[in-house]
Amino acid sequence: MLPIDAAAHSSRWRRRHPVDKAVLGLGLTVLAISLPPWPGAALVLVAALSLLLGPAGVPGRRLWRAYRVPLGFCVTGALPLLVQVGGPEGFVSLAGDGPVRAGELLLRTSAASLGVLLFAFTTPMSDLLPRLVQAGVPAPVVDVALVTYRMSFLLLDSVRRVRDAQAARLGHTGRAAEWRSLAGLGATAFVRAFDRAARLQAGLAGRGYDGTLRVLVPEARVSVRFTTASCALLAALAVLTFVLERPLT
Amino acid sequence: MHIAEGFLPPAHAVAWGVASAPFVVHGVRSLTREVREHPESTLLLGASGAFTFVLSALKLPSVTGSCSHPTGTGLGAILFRPPIMAVLGTITLLFQALLLAHGGLTTLGANVFSMAIVGPWAGYAVYKVLRRYDVPLMAAVFCGAFVADLSTYCVTSVQLALAFPDPGSGFLGALGKFASIFAVTQIPLAVSEGLLTVLVMRLLVQSSKGELTRLGVLLAGKRSRTETEAVAR
Repeated sequence: MLPIDAAAHSSRWRRRHPVDKAVLGLGLTVLAISLPPWPGAALVLVAALSLLLGPAGVPGRRLWRAYRVPLGFCVTGALPLLVQVGGPEGFVSLAGDGPVRAGELLLRTSAASLGVLLFAFTTPMSDLLPRLVQAGVPAPVVDVALVTYRMSFLLLDSVRRVRDAQAARLGHTGRAAEWRSLAGLGATAFVRAFDRAARLQAGLAGRGYDGTLRVLVPEARVSVRFTTASCALLAALAVLTFVLERPLT
Repeated sequence: MHIAEGFLPPAHAVAWGVASAPFVVHGVRSLTREVREHPESTLLLGASGAFTFVLSALKLPSVTGSCSHPTGTGLGAILFRPPIMAVLGTITLLFQALLLAHGGLTTLGANVFSMAIVGPWAGYAVYKVLRRYDVPLMAAVFCGAFVADLSTYCVTSVQLALAFPDPGSGFLGALGKFASIFAVTQIPLAVSEGLLTVLVMRLLVQSSKGELTRLGVLLAGKRSRTETEAVAR
């Protein structure tokens, strides 16, 4: 199991309905990209971080491991904003408002990423996917997504074992050997995926498979109190942004 | 080439979502029809999705000395066709956003457009045209994977340039800036992914001829020179 999903399964908010957590987490993300980055995104960042480490109970180290990935992409993506092409100062020069634009972008992306992480760290995929049918996603697509999700872990495990076996047989000692091993890994994943699909099909056919995959979903109700509190927090963040925008700008 | 969460302004995020929607809806319709006609396809398509997800988790040695991962769009499009790849790619990108924190939900539309639509369609078009003119299978596979990867990178550069025009030279300056920065890693990666796809396909021709025939990649009863050589080996 992947670290974020494993954390979601043991989260304090695991039993909450995904809609509760979507309103809060994805609401924070939408606010982060819609409000002025300063002070809006900064407020969203503080709120999301407090919720993650506080009520949601996500361990700080685990959060940092997941957060540093998008943070790295954000920093790399913001760098081109520091320079400008053309103009009176030469072909390539430092952009006058580059640091401000890059800073605003960093604030926005890091706050928005935390909003999504709040949702991901508290909502296991196995709770979310079956409920997508109620949101209007066609059942066959949800079934394919469910099989993809469950088979991904098995395939990742297979790939890890094959990689270990290749390493034990000196499969990563040189560049040529590494390429051969990598191609072997890709092909093995394909063969195992199709083999597993064929065996699953045979097993389900023996149990009267009619084309729909029925899975048990843990019962949960949308909490009016939690959703109202989330909406109130989002509204408060928006109002606070507009109140503080002028004095802080 | 994932665009990170919150990177695009709201109007751009919505616009790319709207641009991707018709392709994804078309793919969903194809997938739904396929599953209704052949219920057993659910498992095969799920396995294909898992394969695409796992492929994106493989570490690819880069020419610059760093490490990256293949997009898998070229191989996926050749194996499963672009409409199905639009759906599988969307599912994979959703999983990557929620399980790996790669990409994002607000940038899902933009990432789907570059990685699950333009990449697969461009790669598949090149592959089909080359196969029509009897170019050997492996050469066509290399070109398909290379173009799929490269077109993904070009579209992402356009998306970023539209969102962040250069203060001095506007959209074109920003496009040159983003494209030249990404070119340092993406062009060698496109070559690397083309080579890897060829190696994977060679192994598949040897070990999974039945599946490739079922998917329509190989013609039943007809063997090309490469396949004959592979079987002989």
